[in-house]
Amino acid sequence: MTYDWSVVWDHRFEFLNGVWVTIILAVSVMAMSIPLGIGVMLLRQCGIKALEVIATVFVEVFRNVPLLLLVFWAYYALPRLTGASLSNVETGVIALLLNVTAYNSENFRAGVNSIRKGQLEAGLSLGMSWSQAMRKVVLPQAIRRVVPVLASQWVSLFKGTSLVSAIAVADLAYVGLHLRGSTFRVLEILTALAVIYWVLAYPQAKLVDWLHRKYGAQE
Amino acid sequence: MSAFDAAAMKARKNEGETPIIAYQGLVKNFGLLQVLKGIDAHVNRGEVVCLIGPSGSGKSTMLRCTNALETITGGTVLFDGEPLPSDDKVRFVRRRMGMVFQSFELFPHMTALANVMSGPTTVLGMPTAEARDKAMGLLSKVGLADKAESYPSQLSGGQQQRVAIARSLAMDPQVMLFDEPTSALDPETIGEVLNVMKTLADEGMTMLVVTHEMSFARRVADWVMVFDRGQIIEEGPPAQVFDAPLTDRARDFLSHLGWSG
Amino acid sequence: MQFDTSVFSYMPFMLDGMRITVILSVATAVTTLVVGLVLALMRLYGPRWLSVIVTFYIDTMRAIPELVVLIWIFFSIPILTGASMPPFWAALAALTVQVSAYAAEIFRAGLTSIRAGQTQAGLSLGMSRAQILQKILLPQAVIRMLPSFGSYLTMIIKDTAIASMVAVPEMTRNAEVAAQQTYRSMEIYTITMLLYFLILFPTTRIVEAIYGRIAHRGRS
Repeated sequence: MTYDWSVVWDHRFEFLNGVWVTIILAVSVMAMSIPLGIGVMLLRQCGIKALEVIATVFVEVFRNVPLLLLVFWAYYALPRLTGASLSNVETGVIALLLNVTAYNSENFRAGVNSIRKGQLEAGLSLGMSWSQAMRKVVLPQAIRRVVPVLASQWVSLFKGTSLVSAIAVADLAYVGLHLRGSTFRVLEILTALAVIYWVLAYPQAKLVDWLHRKYGAQE
Repeated sequence: MSAFDAAAMKARKNEGETPIIAYQGLVKNFGLLQVLKGIDAHVNRGEVVCLIGPSGSGKSTMLRCTNALETITGGTVLFDGEPLPSDDKVRFVRRRMGMVFQSFELFPHMTALANVMSGPTTVLGMPTAEARDKAMGLLSKVGLADKAESYPSQLSGGQQQRVAIARSLAMDPQVMLFDEPTSALDPETIGEVLNVMKTLADEGMTMLVVTHEMSFARRVADWVMVFDRGQIIEEGPPAQVFDAPLTDRARDFLSHLGWSG
Repeated sequence: MQFDTSVFSYMPFMLDGMRITVILSVATAVTTLVVGLVLALMRLYGPRWLSVIVTFYIDTMRAIPELVVLIWIFFSIPILTGASMPPFWAALAALTVQVSAYAAEIFRAGLTSIRAGQTQAGLSLGMSRAQILQKILLPQAVIRMLPSFGSYLTMIIKDTAIASMVAVPEMTRNAEVAAQQTYRSMEIYTITMLLYFLILFPTTRIVEAIYGRIAHRGRS
């Protein structure tokens, strides 16, 4: 059995294209999910029961379904639910966004809640207003807590983008699967696919570890 | 190197026999920090020796070198005349010593009874029924027979420490090492633990106790060693050390504690 | 927008998929816990070279998507070894390879979170390192790990969905098949989402309840 690794080099531009799409997907979804996640978190505490319930249901539902299924559901259900016709990329982005926003809102909620109430009270007893105390005492600490978790979420998202390949979005995984079929150099292409992901994500995972060490909970 | 009265040293309990523990030039470094700077001392069979001194002076470190929880940097520790093995065989020597920790260190996933049984069953391979009887006997001895099926989280600090003492005693040790046994306890519960320790002392157990409880040391100890900055600066019978210290540094330390006898 | 309820005739088919999902999830949970524990022990207590290899393996599995691992195993193992790779076993192998890395990290966190004093107490009684690990550290570590165990199980159950990509007849795959046959994609997929939710939501709650009962046995 001979292996022909040159096939990987021959298709390097397609791989690079796939990498590019993967990165764009991950960056745009993460960028949107942070403010949306904060929004959902605030909705859960806003005081209007109906909105709180909707937000909670949102979070619980989209954290408790597999991402792949969500991708399929978005592909088939969204056009019928919204009447809009969406491209595959847009569908993929929405599915990822629903998933990551739900997780992020939980992350933010846990981060804020993990700051002991005494901290807020200490700020208030110094004479700060509630919003001053939140801004100067609670939120800075909460952000430190949340950064490592967000970083882990990013790595998850990066891997999760591979699932949009199932609806024919031309990310890295799709390119790999497609080339496997077209070149029949299965082992070489798939191994190269794994290696490329590894090269991209391994440093990110290490960065996440570093962030956990640097910003990990200190009490 | 330490200051002591020669006659008092001669008059120590069982002096002249092979000491149960002996330290020869014991040195311990943590990285660049030298915590024990050459200790020469010994503990005789049946003695109750109290180690006192400021925090950081090395008393706990010396205790932990005694049962090789800390590895020695220089010098020798002799148990019953034999140097401590430097390899895994030291655990056979550890069986002959009992250690009681400041933080109790009961095993939280076991009941009090199971904790006390853990040594004999795991280490000595004692049959469960025999170990249970022995453990119940020891729990009665420390006054906690009714708490045998309780988990550590359900016991007060003083109760936990008494269970910890029972757990160490279950191994029938020749020596009991106490590392600030009451420092983590509420004042109300310190007494119950000290009483158990006094009972042990009266029964003739050899005990090496790091403590800040000066009145306990004064009443119960046979010999006191005063530590300062990694050395024993003075040692002697409690009457001498507490009431008429030989060295200025010991006198300063005791007066800082407000010790008035 | 109509929700066609005739799709409910497909329920037995969907529940068949659920059966496979549960079987695959349980199998994965068992294999990954065993492998994960072994990996964690190797990493914490093994010789340095082994520890380095295991750490590299764990970090690598964090970096490669499950889908890629699955596809690689499904297609490459037959090429490399000539053996056939039935989809279910490929999925189980891929999930095990990937998720045991995660399990190893949970075990490691549990074991290292136990105070050094516990080990010292065991040493002072004359126990050997192996006895300490078995009787003192692991029981406490397992209890401490329980909160993570709930999310661990839910993660596995969700991960089983990728098995659909190699045609394992679990819930997601059956949803695809049903959708193709009935043309009622939205209803089918919505029901499937609900079915997953119905499995996953209680799982976390049950684990939390168990943990609440015995948490105190892990606190040293």
